[in-house]
Amino acid sequence: MFEGSLTVWVDADRAGVLEDIAAQFEEERGVTVELVTKDFGAIRDDFITQAPTGNGPDIIVGAHDWLGKLVQNGVVAPLELGDKAGEFQEVAITAMSYEGQNYGLPYSVENIAMLRNVDLAADEPATFDDLIAAGEASGAEYPFLVGLDPAAADPYHLYPLQASFGAPVFEITADGTYDPTALALGNEGGEAFAIQLAEWGAAGILNTNISGDIAREEFVAGKSPFFLTGPWNLPAIQEAGINYSIDPIPSAGGETASPFVGVQGFFISSRSENTLAANEFLVNYIGTEAVQTALYEVGGRAPALLTAFEAAKSNADVAAFGEVGANGNPMPNVPAMDVVWSDWGSTEVAIINGQGDPVELWRAMVESIQSKIDG
Amino acid sequence: MSHPSPASPLAAPVPPAPAGALKPPRSSSSTRGILIKIALLSIIDAIAVFGLFMLFLQESWIPFAIVLAVTVLVNWIYLTPGWLPAKYLTPGLLFLAVFQIFVVVYSGYIAFTNYGDGRNGTKDDAISTILLTAQERVPDSPTYRVTVLEQFGEYFFLVTDPEGEVSLGSADSPLERVTDFGTDSTGRADSVPGFTTLGFADLLGNQRAITDLAVQVSDDPNDGALRTPDGSNAYLYLSSLSYDAATDTFVDRQGTVYRDGGDGAFVNDSGRELIPGWTITVGFDNFVKAFTTENIRGPLISVTIWTFAFAILSVATTFALGLFLAIVFNKPNMRGKKAYRLIMILPYAFPGFLSGLVWLGLFNEDFGYINQVLFGGASIPWLNDPWLAKFSVLLVNLWLGFPYMFLICTGALQSIPEELTEAATVDGAQPWAVFRLIKFPLLLVSVAPLLISSFAFNFNNFNIIYMLTGGGPRDVSAGVDAGATDILITLVYKVAFGEGTGRDYGLASAFAILIFFIVATVSIISFRQTKALEELN
Amino acid sequence: MTNPFNPAEGAEVSSRLNPAVAGAETAPGESPAPRVIPERRRRGLWFWFRDTGWRHFIGLVMLVFAAFPLLYVLSASLNPTGTLVGSNTLFRTIDFSNYIELFQLPQQPYAAWFINTMVIGLIAAAGTVFLGALAAYAFSRMRFRGRRVGLLTLLLVQMFPQLLGVVAIFLLMSGIGEVFPQIGIGTQAGLILVYLGGALGVNTYLLYGFFNTVPVSIDEAAKIDGASHARIFFTIILRLVAPILAVVGLLSFIGTTSEFVIASIVLTDPQTQTLAVGLYQFVSQETSSNWTLFSAGAVLAAIPVMALFLYLQKYIIGGLTAGSVK
Repeated sequence: MFEGSLTVWVDADRAGVLEDIAAQFEEERGVTVELVTKDFGAIRDDFITQAPTGNGPDIIVGAHDWLGKLVQNGVVAPLELGDKAGEFQEVAITAMSYEGQNYGLPYSVENIAMLRNVDLAADEPATFDDLIAAGEASGAEYPFLVGLDPAAADPYHLYPLQASFGAPVFEITADGTYDPTALALGNEGGEAFAIQLAEWGAAGILNTNISGDIAREEFVAGKSPFFLTGPWNLPAIQEAGINYSIDPIPSAGGETASPFVGVQGFFISSRSENTLAANEFLVNYIGTEAVQTALYEVGGRAPALLTAFEAAKSNADVAAFGEVGANGNPMPNVPAMDVVWSDWGSTEVAIINGQGDPVELWRAMVESIQSKIDG
Repeated sequence: MSHPSPASPLAAPVPPAPAGALKPPRSSSSTRGILIKIALLSIIDAIAVFGLFMLFLQESWIPFAIVLAVTVLVNWIYLTPGWLPAKYLTPGLLFLAVFQIFVVVYSGYIAFTNYGDGRNGTKDDAISTILLTAQERVPDSPTYRVTVLEQFGEYFFLVTDPEGEVSLGSADSPLERVTDFGTDSTGRADSVPGFTTLGFADLLGNQRAITDLAVQVSDDPNDGALRTPDGSNAYLYLSSLSYDAATDTFVDRQGTVYRDGGDGAFVNDSGRELIPGWTITVGFDNFVKAFTTENIRGPLISVTIWTFAFAILSVATTFALGLFLAIVFNKPNMRGKKAYRLIMILPYAFPGFLSGLVWLGLFNEDFGYINQVLFGGASIPWLNDPWLAKFSVLLVNLWLGFPYMFLICTGALQSIPEELTEAATVDGAQPWAVFRLIKFPLLLVSVAPLLISSFAFNFNNFNIIYMLTGGGPRDVSAGVDAGATDILITLVYKVAFGEGTGRDYGLASAFAILIFFIVATVSIISFRQTKALEELN
Repeated sequence: MTNPFNPAEGAEVSSRLNPAVAGAETAPGESPAPRVIPERRRRGLWFWFRDTGWRHFIGLVMLVFAAFPLLYVLSASLNPTGTLVGSNTLFRTIDFSNYIELFQLPQQPYAAWFINTMVIGLIAAAGTVFLGALAAYAFSRMRFRGRRVGLLTLLLVQMFPQLLGVVAIFLLMSGIGEVFPQIGIGTQAGLILVYLGGALGVNTYLLYGFFNTVPVSIDEAAKIDGASHARIFFTIILRLVAPILAVVGLLSFIGTTSEFVIASIVLTDPQTQTLAVGLYQFVSQETSSNWTLFSAGAVLAAIPVMALFLYLQKYIIGGLTAGSVK
């Protein structure tokens, strides 16, 4: 008789939901599931160092943009979803695949959108310029808010605006995935975005001293009609009684302002000896509507499973964020992203704060990223 | 002098022997001591014997030999007379050897390997992972329902294809049509006479064998093979790579050959690597790389100067403030000194990164309390100006570090006998002179090694720099990664973990060893000075 | 004297016999006459200020410096929907729901973490003090080859940048766990052992320095009385160095309770984790971080450290010097 058990690394929020399904799995399948609560931020790196020793977990929870690193290190096993693949949001499946293979069972999809304080701006602006105009006309302290970091700006939050200039990070190939060898940041659109960033910085529309915390406080205090953020800030906004609407992100450069979509899911270790049980647990237990809905209820992130997503859409906020996300692209999951983020962020800071010619700074950044990717 | 240095134990006039409680009772003391000693040793030996037994069963001979040797040594130390220092040092040293020396040796060893992202396992693991990920499902192929059967220890797939045809195959025999089979209620074939049907629970004992099992659909391998990820559904796969153990090469479907390039990865002629690779030893390559990396060499001088300045100033400011406060509150009849002392410990009792975030908020140029309230709405770039950022980092480090110095100085002050200062004061010495000439040197003898250690800690104080400035502000137009507050260890981090293929632990360890040599040299020199100090007394 | 080590008694004795005590650096009595001596009352006030008052002034300045940043933490902990540093308006709401919520999360057993932290911290601190004192005694009282090099090595070992410490500890603990599951990965006992690995280090110096100030004549007198070295160490020396034992114990306690990296590798089950590991989970995900709950947890976690310090203060201050050893 089998006496092993499945070890699953989860963060605390997910652990509660999985406890029930783990008990059910144990009862029906005779395999104990040991849930190890880990700090989410530490899961990726601990997994990469521990899996090769043969003592790592069987399954981890994680974000899709870790995937490149996990595959590069040979610690994740491909996961065959079979016919089940069609039951998930397409963007979730795209995000979980790497070089043509699917590696994870997605459970949530999330993205940012434009939050509007309806009392301060009654109409949805068509373009970003309209948004600024409406923001200034509202008489509020800030025409528009987005949380940035004084040292690293926030390429994630600014990405939709950049994308509207036609400058993704990497070229997008025909099958909708990124080509990590072809950096697209440096195209004309990228430079146009850099010039625009400098203008926004000079005009005070973007301010790197407004951190995520401050932006949220100010929006909650009714000091701005617009706030570019994700669903995680909704509870505080609802609590404050702000009359809000969730709008698509207006375009600044003419093209669609598509946000990054982040997908979370579960991965199986390539060193796992419990391949069958792990597969069974993910596909037929976590991949069910009940579990996906339960995970949505505790985390507030839209479910990846279509049936659960449709049900969750009864919540208008989920539906609205989902609609914005439908235009989004998955965040790139290639290993080179680690390199991209840091240069991208510090260059945005320099441009917003007017520390040099925006186009030159942008070109220097592209060159630096390219040389680091080339190693 | 009643502060005898170890070298001159009897330098001080002998005070009267303590009476009363200090006088050890004589009777039966040694017998009880011996009993306790024997009892403790027996427990340790029992644990050791159990461990040896387990290691013997696991055939781990090297650990076995080490445990055996250590057990014998420990018994010998405690059962033979003499070797008195060893009796007192052994317990601590044992823990030190197991949990610290091992870590140091391991880190040192990594410097001579290519361990890092994409190179973090054994070659065998790399081969099996490459084979695993090379399995590509044939596009648009259907799902086959499958039952796993067993006969004479060999596993078979009983496959029901979408048309309802049933066939049987194993790793060695491609699928062949069968006619004599039983089905379940859904029409899935689930048994064949002479074979044992395995349910999910039966498969659990040998999961890897089931999921690794590939059953060819025909005699031609290019038609693909069925594999099952879950024991009940199978899919048609073609492998994009095949491994030949004899020549140690991978060949893909186009015929491209990937060889072990000697660099810890399989590589083809045009230089494309298969992922993942594996860890190999690379000799001194990492040290050579450490000396030739342009991103380090460029800003090396300015960063080194700042690293020393940061470490020295951090120690100096925290020690000065800690000592000052220890003296200020070391006054017996002062009211509320307990409360003051308690508050001095506060910064030490909260998680450092939480405090770091608060300071980050306080320093915010437009919204922080410091600019908004203390400087009346000024816009002082505390963390964004190269020199102010250096100052701010030092200030926060002072806040984080002074409670430690306060504590040890408070403790160390207790060791300074009062009559020394009394005598000096009676002789008419000025308070400052008493402090400078008598108390301070005495205090320094006991805390100097701690100051050296604190210097070493701050020399590599990665967290505070990363938390507050990330090494910045950085001049992005200059094309170097180093910022105004980058110290050596943060620069190393950026270079070893932020470029090319990702984290390069081998390179990072090589850098770490080099930095260790710098710190150790400075420490040994300073340590000599403390010896001089000690002999002064 | 029946108990020369009763700190309260000792402090009393010392202040009675020696009014200047540690305040000698200001030496009120012997200092040159203050420049302004107008009338008695003012002179009394001035005297008070020169003797004690300025200390209160320093104390108040430091109170602001040390405590102010932490007010943000306290304020955040009392405002369930607030942010950590988003606002300069402190204490806008006073609401204890974060503190209540801490004890009601099934997945984040705060109470268990709290107890674990206390147990692990106290045992590790006691062990560290004991091992460190043994070693310091040997270094201070005995002469043997390699003594000086040994001391230096203890210092240097701690300086090695342990970039890969986590990987090494994990390998080691899984290896140990295969032989002794009771002290392998996932056990608190294992974690304590790892912490004891750091017992001989810089703390040994602190102890060593203090041991050196205890006159060797005490050992010798006891030896003449026929006491063994073990008896001298356990019954005489250890009591005489109580202040520094308390300091080292406190430093070690703070060190282990705030340690995060090793604890997060070794402790896997939420029920066995420590505060440092558990609390961090509240904020590790940027998008779902709960700083206010985290702040409440951190405020409560600081209390034992404060309490231990309060308790140890009497041993730290006025132990040796005030006793009858002199």
